[in-house]
Amino acid sequence: MRRLAHFLILMVGLPLVAGFNIPSLPLPTPPLPSQAQKAAEVVTKTGTKAVQAARPLSEAEEYYLGRAVAARLLARYPLYRNPEATLYVNQVGLAVARKSSRPNPFRGYHFAVLDTLEPNAFACPGGLILVTRGLIRMCGSEDELAAVLAHEVAHVAHKDGLNSISQARWSEVLTTAGTEAARQYGGGVAGAVLNLFKGAVEDVFRTLVVTGYSRQAEEAADREAVSMLSRTGYQPGALAAVLGKMSGGGGGIFRTHPPTGERLARVRALTRESPPGPKEKVRTERFQRVKF
Amino acid sequence: MRTRMRIQRRWLGAALLGVALLVAFPSGVWPQNLTVSLSNQQLYSQPGFTSPPVAPVPQGAQVSLISREGDWVQVDYQGKRGWLHKAAVAGGGPPVSGLPALLSGGPVRQTTHDEVALAGKGFTPEVEAGFRQKNPGLNYAQVDEVERLQVDPARLQAFLQEGGLN
Repeated sequence: MRRLAHFLILMVGLPLVAGFNIPSLPLPTPPLPSQAQKAAEVVTKTGTKAVQAARPLSEAEEYYLGRAVAARLLARYPLYRNPEATLYVNQVGLAVARKSSRPNPFRGYHFAVLDTLEPNAFACPGGLILVTRGLIRMCGSEDELAAVLAHEVAHVAHKDGLNSISQARWSEVLTTAGTEAARQYGGGVAGAVLNLFKGAVEDVFRTLVVTGYSRQAEEAADREAVSMLSRTGYQPGALAAVLGKMSGGGGGIFRTHPPTGERLARVRALTRESPPGPKEKVRTERFQRVKF
Repeated sequence: MRTRMRIQRRWLGAALLGVALLVAFPSGVWPQNLTVSLSNQQLYSQPGFTSPPVAPVPQGAQVSLISREGDWVQVDYQGKRGWLHKAAVAGGGPPVSGLPALLSGGPVRQTTHDEVALAGKGFTPEVEAGFRQKNPGLNYAQVDEVERLQVDPARLQAFLQEGGLN
């Protein structure tokens, strides 16, 4: 018995003396019924503290928001069902995304081609990037396609889509949750969260399709795209080349990503003329082999 | 007298065993296995997507829970220790029952505990389920199709090499 006691003392004492850092697992502590009732009352009276105003979204929340935006875009534009083209665009997109400031978003980057000749590209929050056949056809080479995709990856990396969510939307939840108005949406706080989600999807969708990002966001995305191209081994001048082609004006991407003369000059200033690398021809040839 | 001492020693032994268990499992939580429920997951060295990945974890893999921190769980997978986002593992967070029904259902008379829990979680698969139900015209099927495509790392490497890329 005494031996057992010594053994147990050693078991207890040694880790403490040795300074073992045993990970502390937080206990899930279900609130007592009275505490839970109080919490519910607070939430009902004050809106909800759980949904914080203007808080940053977690990576997972951003992902679900991006899926909803993509689902809305895909209800408007059909997917281009060409496995060879889809794989190729994913390979080019992943090549540049690996060199971005955010190489590993939750569930990774995914690229898809939309079956429309309207030139456009959409960076859904979380890493879903949709580019139209029309825009790819404007690109004359793999390097130019890489420039377009790098620019869109930069918007994801900078969370520009999320920044378009109206700050007022978060306050709206604060004021409506728990009120009669929230109940009319179909369910207290849950209804308000769903309503917030719907509103956030609309805000991001509007930015992607109608209003476009701020000039500052476009400039930052251009800068990072040039850096990504350079680090991957693509021609950094490819972004200026493709922007130059877009300067004719029109709808789609011309409206949401306006390639003004000032912007073009700024992008050109970021890059130095460099002779074509030995593999640039190989890249252009494989681009031309894919049917868009 | 001897009997009393024997009983005291037994109590001492039991108490020391209790303390030892408390030190080994300070939270009172016994080691727990979790199942990785999403594909294309990585173990990260820190609880954040920007930290360097440690190793890939296949969908369906069993991992041992070590600790939790915010939205992250620290796990052991085949001797490799790293962090997974809680959304990537079944049972990564405390289960919240009946939420899709709550989201899509009719008027709720009072704020329930489930609703409070949901609000605290923000945009979740449950919120997506409610959103989908209310917006059947959205094309989630094609979003899933786009996400299913995984480029094989070896194939990507060959693509990079062929194009003289880094």
